[in-house]
Amino acid sequence: MAEPVVETRGLTKSFGITPVLRGVDLRVFPSSVTCLIGANGAGKSTLLRILGGFGHPTTGTASVFGEHSHSMTPAIRRSIGMVTHQSWLYPNLTARENLEFYASIYGVRDVHRNIDQWLERSGLAAFAGERVRGFSRGMEQRLSLARAMIADPRLLLLDEPFSALDPQGVGFACGLIKSSVERGCAVMFTAHVALEIEGVNIDRYEMVRGRLSQYHEEVKRGRLRSLLGR
Amino acid sequence: MKHTVTNALGWLSLALMLVSLYMVFMYVPTEETMGDVQRIMYFHVPCAWVAFAAFGLVAIAGIFYLWLGGRVWDDLGYASAEIGMLFCTLVLITGSLWAKPIWGTWWTWDSRLTTTFVLWLLYGGYLMLRALAEDTPEIARFGAVIGIVAAADVPIVIVSVRLWRTIHPSVLVTRQGEHGLQDPRMVATLLVALTAFTVVFAWLLLTRFSQLRAASRMEELRRDIAILEAAAGEL
Amino acid sequence: MTNTSAALAVLRKDLRLEVRTGQSTIALFALSLLIMVVLVFALDPKPRERFDAGAGALWVALIFAGVLGATRALVAESESGCIRALALSPIDPAALYAAKLASALIFMAVAEAAAVGLIVLFFNLDVGPQLARVALPVVLGTLGFSALATLLAAISSRTRAGDLMLPLLAVPMFIPALIAGVKASGALLAGAGFSEVGKWIGILVAFDALFVTLGALLFEYVIGEE
Repeated sequence: MAEPVVETRGLTKSFGITPVLRGVDLRVFPSSVTCLIGANGAGKSTLLRILGGFGHPTTGTASVFGEHSHSMTPAIRRSIGMVTHQSWLYPNLTARENLEFYASIYGVRDVHRNIDQWLERSGLAAFAGERVRGFSRGMEQRLSLARAMIADPRLLLLDEPFSALDPQGVGFACGLIKSSVERGCAVMFTAHVALEIEGVNIDRYEMVRGRLSQYHEEVKRGRLRSLLGR
Repeated sequence: MKHTVTNALGWLSLALMLVSLYMVFMYVPTEETMGDVQRIMYFHVPCAWVAFAAFGLVAIAGIFYLWLGGRVWDDLGYASAEIGMLFCTLVLITGSLWAKPIWGTWWTWDSRLTTTFVLWLLYGGYLMLRALAEDTPEIARFGAVIGIVAAADVPIVIVSVRLWRTIHPSVLVTRQGEHGLQDPRMVATLLVALTAFTVVFAWLLLTRFSQLRAASRMEELRRDIAILEAAAGEL
Repeated sequence: MTNTSAALAVLRKDLRLEVRTGQSTIALFALSLLIMVVLVFALDPKPRERFDAGAGALWVALIFAGVLGATRALVAESESGCIRALALSPIDPAALYAAKLASALIFMAVAEAAAVGLIVLFFNLDVGPQLARVALPVVLGTLGFSALATLLAAISSRTRAGDLMLPLLAVPMFIPALIAGVKASGALLAGAGFSEVGKWIGILVAFDALFVTLGALLFEYVIGEE
């Protein structure tokens, strides 16, 4: 059995006195896809943020590649690709310049070929010289995904990657996830509802008010109804 | 247990202050050049010592907070800054009261008073940051950094202000001879006053620190209760 | 990738962004000009006093430029949450600090070039070797203020009333460098040699060494999250 890429034990996070994560136990292994399903405010984004090194656990532990998430070494941080609600793109730089910048601070070799490939795959090659300021939300999200992939990460943390994507973008994202998993990457993404990706086996968990549990297909409909009814 | 120590310090402070007051007003002889006003010095100097020591403590607490974590270090630093600010203000006020009869003005830019004023500004900034930004989650960390940087600045302030005043002495004569105390009774009085003020500081610090600790622990408890309530709500 | 190349990449990116959205540089020129005008009328120095008055005006302009310059370097990052991207990246926080420090320095230097030109004009100073000599304390002071303000701006940009907090924290801390810088500048403008202002230069060097070191060490704590 391989070492877990991500491991949390009794992970609790409170902001002030408000509990956001309550005793989360989770393990994620290489070459796997994990999906966290839950409503807004359930704690999905907070969990991903902690794994990205943003914020200390209040109690419990969160480790990434064996190190505490809030004190990861540069080598570990280089292996993580992250996409959040914010694009992390500079509006006044072009698509290519944004990717070049991130490639250079991540120490990517063969920068130009790498960037050209990602611009091609994301369908943004025609817009490579345009400033991100003029991009639509869908284009921004695609570029953000390319940005996360630029250094060939071993762990992908994607917070609601499908929410802002157009159909072409969804195809790009699914293909990206599939090829990453095949290369040994561990992928974690969040969503509001259960999703299927062709050719990919997904471990699904449900987050309800900070608590993690296995996502059960049978009670899915009942749960969805009550979630919507709330 | 904390209460007994605090109370003991309180009584000790009172006793030492009474002894100091007696010594300052009854025991020690009048100084030749400046007269009775000079007696302010026995309050002014100890306050200055406490102010500088308190801010050193803020920096040390800050270092421990960044190194070890733990809210207790932040509570200690914040309490020390508040009490230190009180004593720093007293230094400036007593300095002013001393200057007026001697030199005819309420303020003099002599090197020691100027340095204390800069110290006052530095820690005013720290306290303003804590007051304005108390809801920022990282505020303890920011406070630690500011405390450390400000304390590191103080030696350079002392050197630069002293050089400023020796190369361009002010129109007003700088205070001379406050450490050239002729009479051994003066030295004794100053030492007793120093001890008294230090104990008062320790007492005030411990009192304030206990208050902040209690508030921190309350918050931790409320946080745990919120977690339990959420769990109970699901049963 | 080394930390140096990463820091240079950040600096290049910041300079490129500044060139593209350059209104702030123009605003800074205008502000320097206005500050000088105010000081000329407010101080109205006699001919004998013009060296000290000019030195004082120069350092006032330096501080204003510094407060604006330090925030510029960090504002660009907060726009799309990019500071988080940098915090996650493998770049060493000290290297990131160096890059931000360099941005602030360049920004201040541009504003000061304008300020020096203006004080020669407004305070009737001679253009000669003494003007070149004054560059030394000004450069040292700029470095010191950049070092200080870059660290503090990372804090003030994340707290309420950040615009007020930065000068409130930075100016008292800068006082020793201000004293040393103004005294050295005034003497040098009046024709003194370096040996006469040695002690002041020494203070500036010590100030710079202290704050650059502290900034590099503490920057990781101010960009991290709780």
